[in-house]
Amino acid sequence: MIFPFTAIVGQEEMKIGLIVNVIDPSIGGLLIMGEKGTAKSTAVRSLAELLPELTVVKGCPFNCDPDGILCTDCKETLKTEEHLHRAKKKMRMVELPLGITEDRLIGTLDIEHALKKGEKRFESGILADANRNFLYVDEVNLLEDHIVDLLLDSAAMGINSVEREGVSFTHPAKFILVGTMNPEEGDLRPQLIDRFGLCVQVASIADKEMRMEILRRKALFDAVPENFIMSWLDEQKILAEKIIDAQSAINNIAVPDTVLEKIVTVTAPLNLDGHRADIVIMKASRALAAFRGQDSITAENIREAARLALPHRMKRLPFETTDSEKEKLASLLQEIMP
Amino acid sequence: MSFHNFVGHDDAKLALILNAIDASCGGVLFIGEKGSGKSTLARMFPGLLPDGVPFTNLPQNAMEEALLGGIDLENTIKNGRNVQSAGLLQRAGGGIVYVDDINLIAPEIITLLMKAHGNIRSFEENNGSKPDQPFPFTIIASMNPDEGPLSSHFMDRFGMCVLWEGLKEREQKIAVMKRALNGTGAGINEDDELRRIIQTARRNLKEINVPLKIRDIIADACIKNSTAGHRGDIFLFYAARAYAAFCKETEMTARHVDGVLPLVLLHRKRALQQTKRDDTQKQRHHEKPENEKNGNEHGQGNGHEPLQNRRNVQNDHDRDDAGQDKKPPRQSSDAEKIFDVGADFKVRRLTFRKDRINRAASGRRTKTGSSGKRGRYIKSILSPNNDIAVDATIRAAAPFQTIRGRKELLIIKHEDLRFKRREKKMGHLVIFVVDGSGSMGAQKRMVETKGAIQSLLMDCCQKRDKVALIVFRKNKADVVLPPTGSVKMASRRLLEIPTGGKTPLTAGLLGTYNLISRVHKRSPETRFLIVLVTDGRANQSLTDMPVREEIPKMAGLLCELPSTDYIVIDTEDKKTFTRVDLAGEIAAMLRADYYQIDDLKANYLTEIVQNKKSVGI
Repeated sequence: MIFPFTAIVGQEEMKIGLIVNVIDPSIGGLLIMGEKGTAKSTAVRSLAELLPELTVVKGCPFNCDPDGILCTDCKETLKTEEHLHRAKKKMRMVELPLGITEDRLIGTLDIEHALKKGEKRFESGILADANRNFLYVDEVNLLEDHIVDLLLDSAAMGINSVEREGVSFTHPAKFILVGTMNPEEGDLRPQLIDRFGLCVQVASIADKEMRMEILRRKALFDAVPENFIMSWLDEQKILAEKIIDAQSAINNIAVPDTVLEKIVTVTAPLNLDGHRADIVIMKASRALAAFRGQDSITAENIREAARLALPHRMKRLPFETTDSEKEKLASLLQEIMP
Repeated sequence: MSFHNFVGHDDAKLALILNAIDASCGGVLFIGEKGSGKSTLARMFPGLLPDGVPFTNLPQNAMEEALLGGIDLENTIKNGRNVQSAGLLQRAGGGIVYVDDINLIAPEIITLLMKAHGNIRSFEENNGSKPDQPFPFTIIASMNPDEGPLSSHFMDRFGMCVLWEGLKEREQKIAVMKRALNGTGAGINEDDELRRIIQTARRNLKEINVPLKIRDIIADACIKNSTAGHRGDIFLFYAARAYAAFCKETEMTARHVDGVLPLVLLHRKRALQQTKRDDTQKQRHHEKPENEKNGNEHGQGNGHEPLQNRRNVQNDHDRDDAGQDKKPPRQSSDAEKIFDVGADFKVRRLTFRKDRINRAASGRRTKTGSSGKRGRYIKSILSPNNDIAVDATIRAAAPFQTIRGRKELLIIKHEDLRFKRREKKMGHLVIFVVDGSGSMGAQKRMVETKGAIQSLLMDCCQKRDKVALIVFRKNKADVVLPPTGSVKMASRRLLEIPTGGKTPLTAGLLGTYNLISRVHKRSPETRFLIVLVTDGRANQSLTDMPVREEIPKMAGLLCELPSTDYIVIDTEDKKTFTRVDLAGEIAAMLRADYYQIDDLKANYLTEIVQNKKSVGI
C-alpha cells in the first residue's frame, strides 16, 4: 500500500520538480537536498503509483517500449517473429543501494545458467529495472566513484551497453534520476551535479497546523490504508489526468525567441559551464506552462523553472551557504524579470 | 538533431569530417567543460559515414577480454574445442570507436585501444588484411579535464585535438536551445549533401596532387612549433590532404596545411614551451602571453575559430606533459634553487616521483585485491587471490567439457580458476598541518596562508580528494577537520582557525602520524599528501627532550609511512636576523618539496599539489 501522492502535505517544490520531470523526462531528473524524514522517497514512489501503466514488450526484463529503442533480445525476436507481444506494466521506483556492485548495476553473465547449462545468458541489473521508471539514489553523494561513472555513462546515452565477462549486450536505460543528499556529508562532483536537471531543497515543515495535518493523515493511512486511499482517489485521478494532458500538450506550446532571450538574460550573468542550464530552464518552463493548462510560456514559468534549474549549478565560493545562494538567485530574478 | 545544424564549434566539425574522409587522420580528442556538447556532436558522427562503416561505443564498463575477444562459451562447449568470439576491437575494425570520458577509463584498457589504433592505414588498405592482424580504426574521444588528466602519451596518439568551451554569445546560446527543442528534422538535407561530399572526397583522396613544396611547408610548420617526434608531420600531411579533398581541389596547397594546423598541432605544441623553459629558465606565468601568441598565430588564415581564451586548458597540457618529461631528478635539499625556478624544479622532480609511485601503486594493488572486493573489475588473471572471476573460470573450463565427460553441470577443475584484477582509483587524502602559534599571526601571515589553503581546498574537493586539517598551537595538535569530501565543512573550519600561543611542532607531526596510521589501517589504498605550513619557530616540546632533538625522531617516523608525500611551506620572515630556518631542515628530513611563503600564490600552490597527485594516476 502506497501513501497517495496528493495526500502529502507541503513540499510543493519537490512535488512540482518531480511532476515536471514526468511531463518531460528529457529534463534530466531531480536532486533533492535536505534532511531525513521529509517524504522524499514516499513522494517518488507514490508518484510512480499514480501514473498510467507503461506499454512494454511482454516478458522483456528491460521494459522495452515496443515502438522505441529495443534491447538486443527484442531486436532478435522482432527479426525472427516479425512482431512483438505487448503488455502493460506499472511504473515504479527502483532503488539504487549505496553498496551496489558494478555487476548488479549494469548486469552480468548469468553464472548459474552458465554452470548448469553451459550457455551464455545476460542477467540484467538495476539499470534494466530502471528503464522507463524512476531510479532513486539515496545519499547519491556517498556513492562510490566508479559506480557514479558507470551510472553517468548510461544516463548520458539512455542506453546501457555491456562489454564484459564474455557478454556483449545492449538495452535501453532511460530513467528519471532522482537523487537525495545531505550537503553536510560531502559534496557531489560538479560533473554529476550538472547531470541532474533540477534541484530542490526540502526541510521539515515548521508550521504547527501542517505538522498536525501530517500526523492526522498518517494515522488514518496506517489504520485502514484502503479507506484512506479510496478517500483520495478523486484527487489522484485529477492529478494523473493533468499530467497526461500536459505530456501531450508540451509539443503544442511554442517557445518564441522572447522566451529564449529571457532565459539567456537570466543565465548569462552567472557564467555557468556549458548549455545544460539554458536547455533545462527552457524545457521546464514549457512543462510548467503545460501543467498549469496555459497555451504559452509566461515570465512566471521561467522564473519558477530557473529557481529549480539553477541552485545546484551556480558557481559559489565555499564559504557561501546554499541559503545565501538562494537569496542571490532570488534577487537576480527579481532584478531581471520583475 | 543534424550535424549541419549543430551550433558553432566549426573546428570540431571539421575534425570529424576529415576523419570521415581519411582514417589516416588519426582520430580526434575533444577536451572541454561539462555540458558543452562534446558527446552530442560526436554521437552525430555516424550519420556522416558511408554505409557499412561500423561505429562502436566503448562503454566505461568494458573489460580487457571484451576488447580482445576470447572463448565463445556456448560454441566451445558444444563443439568440445576452442571457439573464439570476436572482441570489440575486431568488430570495430575499419570503423569508428567512440569513447566518452576517456580519462576515466582504466589505463590498461586505453593502452589496448591505442595499440590497435596506432596502426595508420586507410580503410581501403585494410580490406585485404588478415583477421589476426591488428584492426585499424579511428578513435573519437571526449574528456572533461576537471575530472582528471589523460596521460600526454595517450593524447599524442590522437591525430587531432579540439578544445571546447560553451558558447558565450547570446545568439549562439539561443540557437543551441532551439536545436535542443526541435530535435530531428531540420538540416537533414544538408547532412545528406555533406555525406555525399565526404564520399566523393574519399574517392578523390588518392588522386590529389601533392607538390614537393608541401613537404617543406609541413616540415617548416612542425619545426616552428617544435613538435616532438614525427607524428605531427604525418598527421598534418594526412589532415591537409583530406582537407584539400573536402575543398574539392585537385592539388594540395599551403592553405590546406594552414587550415588544419591548429587541429593537428595544438596538443603537440607544448614542446615549444618546454624548450623555451629550458633555455631561458623562465617561470610559468611569464610564459602565458607566449602561449596566447602562438594560439593566435595558428588561428589566422584558416577561417575557423581562433584559439584564444584557451590558456587554461593549454596549461593543463603543460602539466600533463611535465610528468612525461625524461630528465634526471634533482636533489630536493637544494632549497635556494627551488625558490628561483619553481616551474623547472617541478618538472624534474616529477619524473622521479612517477617511477617510485608506479611501483608502489602496483604493489599495493595486488595487496588490496586480496583484502577488498571493491573497484572496477577490468580483467581476469591467473595469479590467485580470494576474488574468483567466475566468468573467466567458466570460459577457461569450456574447451575441456567434452574430454572431462560433462553430463549437465560444467566440470570445473582447479587449474581453470581465474581471478579478478580490479582497478582501484587511488583515493587521495590531503592533510593540511597548519601552525596556529602566535608568531604566525604576525604580518598577516595567517591571512595569506588561509587564502592559499582555501583555493587548494576547493580544488581538492572538485577532484574528488578528501581533505583533513590539523592545527597545532599552545601545547597540542587538534584534528579540527577529520577527513571529509565536503569543501564547505573544510572552509568553515579554516575560517575558524585561531592563532596565538607557543609552537608545538612535534605535537603537530605526531598528530599527523596518528591520523595517517588510522586512515591507512581502514583504507590501505589511500595515498597521502601532507602540506605542512609553519614558520619553524618550534618552542614547545612534547617530552623532556629539546624540540630540536624531538623533531628528527618524529620526522623519521613519518618517513617510514607508506605512500605519503610531503610539502613544507615555510612562512618565516627571511629578512630578520633571528631566523631559524628549521622548516627547511624539516623539509629535508621528510624528503619534502619545500616552498617559502612568497611562492604561495594561490594558483601556483594548486598546481604544485595537482602535479604531485597526477603522477599517481
